[in-house]
Amino acid sequence: MNLALWAAKTGLDAQNTQMAVIANNLANSNTTGYKADRATFQDLMYQNIQQVGSQSTQNTQYAAGLSLGTGVKIGATEKSYLQGSVLQTGGTLDLSVTGNGMFQITMPDGSLAYTRDGSFSLDAQGNMVTASGYPLSPAITVPITAQSVTVGADGTVTSTTAGTSKTTTLGQIQLANFVNMQGLQPIGNNLLTESASSGSPQVGAPGTNGFGTLSQGSLETSNVNTVTELVNMITCQRAYEMNSKAISTTDQMLQYLTQNLS
Amino acid sequence: MDRGLYVAMTGAKQIMQAQAVNNNNIANVSTTGFRADTVAFSSQPIYGAGYASRVNAVAEDNGVDFSTGPLESTGASLDIAVNGSGFIAVQGADGQEAYTRAGGLKVSDTGAVTTEGGQAVLSESGPVQIPPASSITIGGDGTISVVPLGLAAVAQSQVDRIKLVNPSTKTLKKGADGLFYLTAGGKAPTDETVHVSSGMLESSNVNPAMSLVNMIELQRMYEFQIKSMNSADTNEQSAERMMLTS
Repeated sequence: MNLALWAAKTGLDAQNTQMAVIANNLANSNTTGYKADRATFQDLMYQNIQQVGSQSTQNTQYAAGLSLGTGVKIGATEKSYLQGSVLQTGGTLDLSVTGNGMFQITMPDGSLAYTRDGSFSLDAQGNMVTASGYPLSPAITVPITAQSVTVGADGTVTSTTAGTSKTTTLGQIQLANFVNMQGLQPIGNNLLTESASSGSPQVGAPGTNGFGTLSQGSLETSNVNTVTELVNMITCQRAYEMNSKAISTTDQMLQYLTQNLS
Repeated sequence: MDRGLYVAMTGAKQIMQAQAVNNNNIANVSTTGFRADTVAFSSQPIYGAGYASRVNAVAEDNGVDFSTGPLESTGASLDIAVNGSGFIAVQGADGQEAYTRAGGLKVSDTGAVTTEGGQAVLSESGPVQIPPASSITIGGDGTISVVPLGLAAVAQSQVDRIKLVNPSTKTLKKGADGLFYLTAGGKAPTDETVHVSSGMLESSNVNPAMSLVNMIELQRMYEFQIKSMNSADTNEQSAERMMLTS
């Protein structure tokens, strides 16, 4: 096994993964409430060839050691929770959160998932549901007689009924926040779930206790910065090429060895 | 047995090791806060009976290039980059204090602040621990202030301060985990002059152009050594032939 070859191979692998992350970010540059991923690179263990401070003779020590790095790996993908820009849609059930907090969604198995995607619609029973049909938690049911629905900045949902001047309060939307947002597990469909490292959710009404406020008729767009992604793509490609060059050079060295010493 | 063959062999072996170091640098061209490794060769004469004409090459000094890498803006409040020289103190192997330039910090569910590699970030008094917070700010001198979860922004309070040090780079060595340790052991004192920028990360300081040129140079040097080995072989063959004809 040649360390020079394998170190470069780990570089190729890691850049390939980085490219997959960039491609996924670019693919989701129009996804409502999407939070961009960033691959983080970490160096692998070092191999000690000559221990620093070991005896070079009985009376002297090596002043420096020789340790060979074994390459690189992708340590983690981290989501950037920076606020995406807000797009005015005018939709009655399009909600965006300005500040901290995520909508709570009841999954088909009864567990909770969390999302920044506030494009809700109504199902046949009048429940507020996501695009995939999963209901908002706590559930908000809009009666069939409702003429208009209003969502306040504090999450209060009210409706007016035709023929009356009275408004009816349908409920209040609650937001959730986590100690370690990076620890949330993305499960697709714009949803994230709690994990052991995210901590348990802290739930509260919008606008209170550090939670952001809701605005009706707007959606939070993806926070992918396409320019950043394209620049990342260029550096990724060049780094990939360099690692590939390192492999071919090491290969040529070994080839030269076998061809000339036979 | 011709010893020239062995001298060339040590050369080729060491150059291949140097190429491994160079390839590792190239592999880490995107690693946050990575410091490039350098290799120096020394000549080691072989003493013994007769004239000491043979000198073996030994790759020995595994130095580290401590120059600063380019800064990359990420906007994340937990990403910090050290301005100029200096290091962030973290807990390394065996609880020993280690130093790093990789400032992509994270908060665990228990409130422990760690690096991307999972090492606990240290303050003057031990690992940094923060209460559940809705917003975290890291100041220029490493001071962490938070808005506790569930409280309004006016409740912002200072919780801890990340230990920033600036020991002489001559006293540092790279450990097997890629972190820096004091060669003599122990802890470096806090340096008030070290500053960090929040929302930035320092990229690897590997110079891609230099690494590629270095790679070509090492390749050609390797070929020289092989050529010498080849010549030693040819000499041996000629000598053998001469013996046969006479």
